[in-house]
Amino acid sequence: MQRQVALIKQSLFDQGYLDEQFIELEELQDDANPNFVEEVATLYFKDSARLISNIEQALERGSFDFNRLDNYMHQFKGSSTSIGASKVKTECTMFREYCRVGNAEGCLRTFKQLKKEHATLRKKLEQYFQASK
Amino acid sequence: MTLEQDFEAVDQFPVGMRVLAVDDDQTCLRILETLLHRCQYHVTTTDSAQTALELLRENKNKFDLVISDVDMPDMDGFKLLELVGLEMDLPVIMLSAHSDPKYVMKGVKHGACDYLLKPVRIEELKNIWQHVVRKSKFKKMKSIVINDDHSQGNSDQNGVKANRKRKDQFEEVEEEDEERGNENDDPTAQKKPRVLWTRELHNKFLAAVDHLGVEKAQPKKILELMNVDKLTRENVASHLQKFRSALKKITNEANQQANMAAIDSHFMQMSALKGLGGFHNQRQIPLGSGQFHGGAATMRHYPLGRLNSFGGVFPHVSSSLPRNHNDGGYVLQGMPIPPLDDLNNKAFPSFTSQQSSLMVAPNNQLVLQGHQQSSYPSLNPGLSPHFEINKRLDDWSNALLSTNIPQSGVHSKPDALEWNHFCNSDAAQAGFIDPLQMKQQPANNLGPMTDAQLLRSSNPIEGLFVGQQKLENGSMPSNAGSLDDIVNSMMPKEQSQAELFEGDLGFGWHNSSLRTCI
Repeated sequence: MQRQVALIKQSLFDQGYLDEQFIELEELQDDANPNFVEEVATLYFKDSARLISNIEQALERGSFDFNRLDNYMHQFKGSSTSIGASKVKTECTMFREYCRVGNAEGCLRTFKQLKKEHATLRKKLEQYFQASK
Repeated sequence: MTLEQDFEAVDQFPVGMRVLAVDDDQTCLRILETLLHRCQYHVTTTDSAQTALELLRENKNKFDLVISDVDMPDMDGFKLLELVGLEMDLPVIMLSAHSDPKYVMKGVKHGACDYLLKPVRIEELKNIWQHVVRKSKFKKMKSIVINDDHSQGNSDQNGVKANRKRKDQFEEVEEEDEERGNENDDPTAQKKPRVLWTRELHNKFLAAVDHLGVEKAQPKKILELMNVDKLTRENVASHLQKFRSALKKITNEANQQANMAAIDSHFMQMSALKGLGGFHNQRQIPLGSGQFHGGAATMRHYPLGRLNSFGGVFPHVSSSLPRNHNDGGYVLQGMPIPPLDDLNNKAFPSFTSQQSSLMVAPNNQLVLQGHQQSSYPSLNPGLSPHFEINKRLDDWSNALLSTNIPQSGVHSKPDALEWNHFCNSDAAQAGFIDPLQMKQQPANNLGPMTDAQLLRSSNPIEGLFVGQQKLENGSMPSNAGSLDDIVNSMMPKEQSQAELFEGDLGFGWHNSSLRTCI
């Protein structure tokens, strides 16, 4: 079991899904806070699901309010950074860049990618926490 | 927190430092909370800026530090920053995922003590307590207590600094903010008694400086001359530094004013005071940064000086107004306490009438007016810039020494200088809070505050400097309206004051110009 946990974790890092920030979080976990990382991750996914849904709606409307999209993405990026979700963070940055130049198509493409990364991360982390219990 | 708890917390600082964390992002907030706990701070979190403000307003003393995200839906983080600085004068740290220097600059300009980038690392949080220390140290410098100056039974408290401070606060200080400041002071000060620059002390200081000469005065020598027990060279040094800055500032301002005054020819003819223009009622003297509102406030003082210029003609006046405050801070031509500003409503009428009777004779040009605010300015033409300098210095020292906080329902903050609470507020003394709504200077004043700002800043007394100061407490202090008292109380002191006056003009150039008036 331990080995499995370690493996999952290793792969997450190797594949760039997570970065050092995640390690920082793990260091905050202690007896007083035994499930800290999992709690944070849960919060994150809850929040980000909401954000993704908002962005989706905004994009579907087709009006492309870049400012608003940028705002959403800024939030998304913030929390992703805090949890160490590296790939997701990268996609956020790209998305914002497309917003900045007003490239709607770029936004759409990036967003799709972002959702994919996000979903993958979620799954992997769920596995990870499962294995850790 | 109970008193005991407070003591404990204080003694273990920075452990237990009370932080309010504000971030609308739940993930970040949770992480921040944990990080702060790890640093052994006491943490309160909220995801809404509004709630944060409410919490803070509910009890200003509840927190030592605020950390806030920049982007929040219900209120811009910068706005929160400003409000906290203004109302509570707490150190605020900004947090953001924006690394754009523009934001950082904005944060700094709005008064943030620091700007951290997300994701925040624990190492950074481990050091944030320095901002609390710094802020309170700053306040500390302005209001230090010498044990033996305190009449309020400090003797038993020498050993226990925290206790002493707290007791002092309770007994003397009506201002909660200072309590907080003191709490923070405690752990940081190195077991040094705080020094309160009371009038007496300040006078000694001034006398020493005068004796040595402003330019040449050195803390060590001043200390020797002052011969005050338990005063350290450092105390004197920092006081001197402030003094010099204040002086410089005033000189600059006065020069500006002098120029303006010279233009106004209305009352040119007056006086022994070399024709510097008079000040019109309506005239707003742009003090320094032009922050001056209620320009009339400044001028109110002038007429008094003006009166003095008539020297022997009005013995009553000159004797009754030999100095501006009881023990005479820096000598000013019989200005009663500077912050008469809006006392004038009560005080001035009587005063005015005093003057009017006196003023009648000599000069028809002197337009005496019955009304409060404006009467003074018109009374006083031709004020020398030196006079003003004196005046302002005196204001400054007044500000230093005696700010009286109105007793009742004080929502007002202490002046940014925070000298007030240490003053044994003498009813007859200055420190009338300008009922014109003096509002505290924003926190950023305290941060990078220069002495110039200090001078200018929210000193309740300072009608002279910044009329804009507003205390939320609109009521006049109980000792308002006692201008007559002040005047009368000064009379017996005429003798010594006169002597002092002679010798005490620290600024050489003042001597000559003022002497001609007497």
